[in-house]
Amino acid sequence: MKKLLNNWIVQVLLFLSLLGLTAYGSQMINDIIPPYLLMIAFFIGINLIMALGLNLITGVTGQLSLGHAAFMSIGAYSSAIATVNFDLPFLLGVLIGGLIASVFGVIIGFPTLRLTGDYLAISTLGFAEIVRVQFTNMKITNGAIGFLGIEGSTTFPIVMTIAVLMICLMVWLENSRNGRAMLAIREDEVASSAVGINTTLYKIQAFAIGAFCAGVGGALFAHTTTFIQPTDFGFQKSVDILSIVVLGGLGSIPGTIIGAIVLTAAPEILRPLSNYRMIVYGLLLVVIMIFRPYGLMGGVNLRQAVRRAMMFPKKKQAGREE
Amino acid sequence: MPILNNLMQQLVNGLALGSIYALIALGYTMVYGIIGMINFAYGEIFMFGAYAGLVLALTNYVNVYVALLGATFITMVLGVVIERVAYRPLRRSSRLSALISAIGVSFFLSSLMVRVKGPNTRGFPTLFENRIFEIGDFQITIYQIVIIGVAGLLMLSLHLFVTYSKMGRAMRACAQDQDAASLMGVNIDRVISVTFAIGSGLAGAAGVLAGIYFNAVQPYMGLLAGLKAFAAAVLGGIGSIPGAMIGGLVIGLTEILGVTVNLSEYKDAFAFAILILVLLFKPSGIMGRKANKKV
Amino acid sequence: MSLLTLDNVTIRFGGLTAVDTVNLEINQGEILALIGPNGAGKSTVFNLITSIYQPTEGTISLAGKPLVGIPTHKIAEMGITRTFQTIRLFSELSVLDNVKIGAHCRGKAGLFQAFTRLPGMKREEAEIEEKAIKALEFLDLATKCEEMAKNLSYGEQRRLEIARALVSKPKLLLLDEPAAGMNPQEKVVLMEMIRRIRDTGITIFLVEHDMKLVMGISERIAVLDYGKLIAEGTPLEVRSNNAVIEAYLGSGKFKSRIRR
Repeated sequence: MKKLLNNWIVQVLLFLSLLGLTAYGSQMINDIIPPYLLMIAFFIGINLIMALGLNLITGVTGQLSLGHAAFMSIGAYSSAIATVNFDLPFLLGVLIGGLIASVFGVIIGFPTLRLTGDYLAISTLGFAEIVRVQFTNMKITNGAIGFLGIEGSTTFPIVMTIAVLMICLMVWLENSRNGRAMLAIREDEVASSAVGINTTLYKIQAFAIGAFCAGVGGALFAHTTTFIQPTDFGFQKSVDILSIVVLGGLGSIPGTIIGAIVLTAAPEILRPLSNYRMIVYGLLLVVIMIFRPYGLMGGVNLRQAVRRAMMFPKKKQAGREE
Repeated sequence: MPILNNLMQQLVNGLALGSIYALIALGYTMVYGIIGMINFAYGEIFMFGAYAGLVLALTNYVNVYVALLGATFITMVLGVVIERVAYRPLRRSSRLSALISAIGVSFFLSSLMVRVKGPNTRGFPTLFENRIFEIGDFQITIYQIVIIGVAGLLMLSLHLFVTYSKMGRAMRACAQDQDAASLMGVNIDRVISVTFAIGSGLAGAAGVLAGIYFNAVQPYMGLLAGLKAFAAAVLGGIGSIPGAMIGGLVIGLTEILGVTVNLSEYKDAFAFAILILVLLFKPSGIMGRKANKKV
Repeated sequence: MSLLTLDNVTIRFGGLTAVDTVNLEINQGEILALIGPNGAGKSTVFNLITSIYQPTEGTISLAGKPLVGIPTHKIAEMGITRTFQTIRLFSELSVLDNVKIGAHCRGKAGLFQAFTRLPGMKREEAEIEEKAIKALEFLDLATKCEEMAKNLSYGEQRRLEIARALVSKPKLLLLDEPAAGMNPQEKVVLMEMIRRIRDTGITIFLVEHDMKLVMGISERIAVLDYGKLIAEGTPLEVRSNNAVIEAYLGSGKFKSRIRR
């Protein structure tokens, strides 16, 4: 049985059936739950996709980015242009959105590699502001007025399937040579290069993949709301996504999932209090940092549990203690 | 020579704007110099100062000096409280935690102000009559004179304070080596509190000046102003007080010059473009010293 | 045969010459110790070899291949790994992961492999894991595999750093004060370990303050003072070298340290 599970083809089949099951299950949910709840579920999925990307950049690789909304906006606008101006199919538009965002991830990744910590954070923020100003002044994006007439092609099964796909990819990445190198960079850059890790390369990879996620999320967002404008992608949006990652626990994928659910659903559930949402957000960030600097799921060793379940189910574990 | 006149005129405008940025930049630079963190909430302290000035100005008995002093005092207290509550517990944690906490404070303050005073832009009551002086071919308003004058005075007093007072010496010692300073009997907590108080007070004063100058106060005004001031601090060389002044003036001038050459839609992007360029090519800034990597 | 050659290596930080025209050869398979008073520039020499600093003048070469100007991460690939004076572990990661990361430069898998998980990638993962566990067994840490690195004792952390440096099978291992903070029993064990590492064919270059350890295991000792190499030779020669005694003792109050 174990041998069978370790076979690559079996694993691929299992993976595909997981995706199929997700698509089927979310179609069922789509048909039964009321539209209002469905909308919340949509945004949980979209936020989760984007937050997984930021989790890779900030949580795993330790590079604080305050410009995630910029990648989102690049994905949103380029996919909208692809489907509206060039009549391309929706899913291709999503892919294009992700790829173009990813290219910008590399472009912003390159120069900022020379920076660390606070300086990096501020320059990503500056980059995001420049991108926003640029979108406000471009003709093709219809400037500050906003991009109208995007088709609402995003469906719930698509969002959920992409989200599950992204989760799988992230878990795999974290448990690979590349993922370990990224974690090492977060922990200690000097020691990382001393063991032979090309820190530049892996930071760029993290930025590229993280930006790709944000771009895909942005594309899905654009084709959900059917209307986007530069103010949708301000600093606040970047902080929204960062809060998801921080609340869940930097570097923790289960944490990111929980964070996405809680922070997307909570304002809706507390609708009467929604005026205080931003105040609570602010306080929450401070309080979490003081009392649980590693987030809700920080220090909970699910990563190792997942790895044991997924990768090395049989190796030399008897002698090891948790 | 209309172009030259125009340029002189823009230099004066840029100087006034730059003085405001420089005042906020001083706070960033002082805190960074001493505890090595970016107090992300400075922009919001600036905004609070503007509102405090507004509220004071709306009571009929208050003149401009009282509004300025009152706002400065209120933001000083605010700065000290923020440091106590949100930063001090994190002093030994990672910089990421402290930065995120600061972002939290910044969100908290701006959204609190939206709740209390509403999201709309408010005008500033006239505290004194604006007059225009013609010097040669260009004009300077009394507002601009007051802004440049007050900013200059504050910077000069800060410089004297840091250079000659006992507390100033303690601050410089802490910036060099906190542990050593504390072994020499410097009360680190107090020095940090004083630093926050001074920095926040300067930001608060800048807020009132900006409110008078632009005749507009708004809960989100702090974010952009704060970021530009931070850009100014980095440009000048973070940790350096004269650097912050020079950086502020440079950012103010570029912004105004950008508007002059018809790039006003991009004016908010200038500071960031400069910031990123500086970080890339001379991370230590104009007045900063190059630090050797310690291994 | 010389494995690593430092030729007229000099580095200045502003006005300070931290390492001053140092000429040094490390022979294949030996244990060489670099000693000297605090601030003599010993760790700087390590940072120069691993390209963390670039020399102001001079060249460094590994078996004839120049190292100056090569990025730090390539140095490990070429066969030089190191430990740090102030322990630099990946403290929030498990002991096993720390060592696996040490094997990074011997792996090949990239993003494609990470996302496709083809059998080849899994084989490489299994190999890395096996190597890592072997290295941990070698340093007597195998029982701590799943522990977080930050939860280990000081001595264990030092050994974990060695395991991490060892797993990529370097030609040359640089140990920066490996015994610092260890108790006497741990030091004895460490000495034994260093010898065993050398016996697997790895050349060892160490910086150390503990004279007992240095005198006990080194075949040759080089002495650095104010950035200059003032003596070089067998432990016996160095012990009786006047310049060394001068540098170390000065007023004479550290005599015990050398005579011990």
